[in-house]
Amino acid sequence: MVKERKFLKGPRLRDVSTYDFPGLKKAFSLGPDQIIQQISDARLLGRGGAGFPTGTKWDLALQQQGERKYMICNADEGEPGTFKDRYLLEERPLKVLEGLIIGAYAVGASHGFIYIRGEYTEPIKILRTILEEAREEGVLGEDIFGSGFDFDVKLVRGAGAYVCGDETSLINSIEGKRGISRIKPPYPIQKGLYDQPTVVNNVESLACAAEIINQGAGEFAALGTDNSRGTKLISVSGDINIPEVFEVEFGSCTLNEIIEELGGGVRRGKEPKFVIPGGLSTAALLPDELNCSYSYEGIESAGSSLGSGAIIVVGESRDLVDILLKVSRFYMDETCGTCFPCREGNKQINYMLSQHRNKKFTSQEVELIEDIGEAIAAAARCGLGQTSLSLINSIFAKFSEELIEEVIQVD
Amino acid sequence: MIKLKIDNVPVEVEKGTTLLEAARQAQINIPTLCFEDDLSVYGGCRLCVVEVNEREQLMPSCAIEAEDGMEVKTHSPRVRDVRQTLFELIIASHDISCELNCLTCTRQASCELRNVAEDIGINRMRLSPIYRGLDKDLSSYSVVREPNKCITCDRCIRKCEEVQGIGIFANSARGPETTVTTFQDKGMGNVECTNCGQCIISCPTGALHEVYHMDGVWDALYNEDKHVIVQTAPAVRVAIAEPFGAEPGTVATGQMVAALRRLGFDGVFDTNFTADLTIMEEGTEVVERVKNNENLPVLTSCSPGWIKFIEHFYPEHLKNLSTAKSPQQMFGALAKTYYAETMGVDPEDLVVVSIMPCTAKKFESKRQEMAGDVDYVLTTREAAMMIKAAGINICDLEPEEYDNLMGVSTGAGDIFAASGGVMEAALRSAYYLITGEELEDIDIQPVRGLDGLKKAEVPINEELTLKVGVAHGLSNAKRMMEMIAGGEEFHFVEFMACPGGCIGGGGQPISAELSSAETLKRRMDGVYSIDSSKKLRRSHENPMVQKLYEEFLGKPGSHKAHKLLHTKYTPRGLS
Repeated sequence: MVKERKFLKGPRLRDVSTYDFPGLKKAFSLGPDQIIQQISDARLLGRGGAGFPTGTKWDLALQQQGERKYMICNADEGEPGTFKDRYLLEERPLKVLEGLIIGAYAVGASHGFIYIRGEYTEPIKILRTILEEAREEGVLGEDIFGSGFDFDVKLVRGAGAYVCGDETSLINSIEGKRGISRIKPPYPIQKGLYDQPTVVNNVESLACAAEIINQGAGEFAALGTDNSRGTKLISVSGDINIPEVFEVEFGSCTLNEIIEELGGGVRRGKEPKFVIPGGLSTAALLPDELNCSYSYEGIESAGSSLGSGAIIVVGESRDLVDILLKVSRFYMDETCGTCFPCREGNKQINYMLSQHRNKKFTSQEVELIEDIGEAIAAAARCGLGQTSLSLINSIFAKFSEELIEEVIQVD
Repeated sequence: MIKLKIDNVPVEVEKGTTLLEAARQAQINIPTLCFEDDLSVYGGCRLCVVEVNEREQLMPSCAIEAEDGMEVKTHSPRVRDVRQTLFELIIASHDISCELNCLTCTRQASCELRNVAEDIGINRMRLSPIYRGLDKDLSSYSVVREPNKCITCDRCIRKCEEVQGIGIFANSARGPETTVTTFQDKGMGNVECTNCGQCIISCPTGALHEVYHMDGVWDALYNEDKHVIVQTAPAVRVAIAEPFGAEPGTVATGQMVAALRRLGFDGVFDTNFTADLTIMEEGTEVVERVKNNENLPVLTSCSPGWIKFIEHFYPEHLKNLSTAKSPQQMFGALAKTYYAETMGVDPEDLVVVSIMPCTAKKFESKRQEMAGDVDYVLTTREAAMMIKAAGINICDLEPEEYDNLMGVSTGAGDIFAASGGVMEAALRSAYYLITGEELEDIDIQPVRGLDGLKKAEVPINEELTLKVGVAHGLSNAKRMMEMIAGGEEFHFVEFMACPGGCIGGGGQPISAELSSAETLKRRMDGVYSIDSSKKLRRSHENPMVQKLYEEFLGKPGSHKAHKLLHTKYTPRGLS
């Protein structure tokens, strides 16, 4: 029986006056180099979806020179099916704040931001209160805990654009510009917010960092597999009996076990039609592909990716074309409109799909959709575009009999 | 130096060179749409993507700097395939329909999309265009926007903001609805647009073009009751042969005159004549104002884009502007009086047409201060279209002379076409007006060329050294105004709205092959070659201008000259 491994999860933690910030205090005694060493030793990978090593990011940021540096918490959790950051922001926000301050201290950032999804009204309220209390208690402000380190955090509410979860778009949004991606390089580490070195970390990554410093890198690195250390908060939803945020140790279970044992099995049925393992930007997996180990490499070997940890279960009765349309509608609405492949590609795909209700697709049409998908994946400007067709293309590939007209060979 | 391989060709480039530039240095052409020299990198069209070190993700060559040891593939099978699909998507967004077809497009002969199609070798088009149903912007006297043709490459946005320092355009809406528009969708006629038309030059798809006056001119020409005369601006003659296949800078003055006569104009005249006249009026004004130390520096007034710019952004400096009308408007005022009187034509039956390198001249002709003097303004492009439509190839014609009365000019009038030319022409005559002697060396090199800001000190006599400045392109105009506001002293400053001056005007032919800098350089060489080949090179030597003063105006700055040849300005401020 699969069990949760609670490294991040825990009792509600929202009262600044009674929380001791053990990780932060330890961080101040370690100093920046040691902190970064610990994060690197723990081999923490960014939890937002891209999986970039957090220690490397902080190390690069530490080495950058700038008038000032910025540390940003990306709480613009918008990947459909993902709600694990919401759990942390509502239940364990002090761990997130702690991670943010530790990161800022490690890289030498004087100003912080929490960029939060605008619809997260409850977490916004909670964070507002916490930031105020933290200033009163001296957790933010000048000379935090007598360390000589000054740092304050501003809460910025997003305006509803999915693309602002992309770090460069998020930075534009904070600057008051249109939420559109920037060309990389320069990376935010080199030239980010107001052209200064900027670190953007996901909510869960920061909570992990706080726990790594608190509990020790060894504790964290001992969990999981070689390539996927620690635990992961997963958001399980869709046609499942227990939709919930679970915390699992990497490699301790399979996708199938998560669905059956933690999620209580598929709702109204035995088997899912397919499962989306990492949010809407990842390829679908069929029931017989679910016996892969839950880890970055495990899901990759099954042909998809772990993404943000959003596991969406799709039941047998669901209509594929309807799903395709909804997915493509999402990307059409959410493309920022800057680069041509993503803007025009997602529009065209939505148009083509909308023309085909109750019909099968011709192989020419599918080829065209694949070609557009290939062009977007290869040439789009940011991660949103590059992955926007992953799911749709995988559904066409895996359900070709159901979706595509049979080609009758004429001799 | 950075060493890399592009398509297996070893290339050495300076650090900081982009892959696109490096490829060009290796004679490899990578197609682009949103890229333009002199503008910031946008990285939107993605046509310039290349394979780098066999990585899965293709990289935009316009934005990626060359690094040591890179292996770049610019035309691999995968790149070519992706590019074709991208192009299919772009064409589908460009809305080719019955209403918007290539044949009636302003860019039918110079379409960048078509050039890119050729560069890519496009051989498939599987997508149907999705009609966007956007309204045309017809609010401006000078420029029309057709948003359905816009592919949102944002070159107009960047041109207006970065080269012209204004920024009337911005993106609005999101995703597939993203459009280019003006502040609050007010339309180009209702914002701080200077009508310079530089956005037209940058638009790759014909979504921006001038407000056409061709139909009005055709009607006038076909109307036997009308006496129709035309004036041609200095910068037109070095560009009008381009649409007929000639190199930029080809001097086609006489052929142009012949073509216009064949079109049916009753008189073919030269704006250069009134350019010389402008020097007499403005030069006299400068000399007076310098003598009296009154409202210095004097700022030139012949570029209508610059005039609208200063009216919006520096209305407190309107008193510094010369009150002299532009050569186009001086011509119009004289045509409806002096010419009509001399020729015995009823001004009611007289139609005055200008051919200008400029879209702002269309607005200028409609200004309430002088409306009615010039009836129609054609851009160089429109004039070329009309000549073609009459079955004439300008290059094949024998040169003819302008009509005499207002067709004679000196080299000083010719150089009005290039940045620094008005200044140089003014100095040639101001020297004479102050000292009574002729300036020996009249090639005033420091004010020539394509530097954005130019300064010179010209010793006139023992008491006076004239300090002059020249700015072209409105972001340079802004810099110059800030220098003046900061206390830098000048007597006289020339401003041209367009980069390079009128030769780079928003109404000039658009060259698909040459860079804008090269085009400007060639046109500029053409202009100075005309000047240096002329016997008379000082405005005050123009015999027909002298005759005009003797018979009609009296002397420069006379009451009559003021009434006809000078104007007022409108403080507009910001909307």
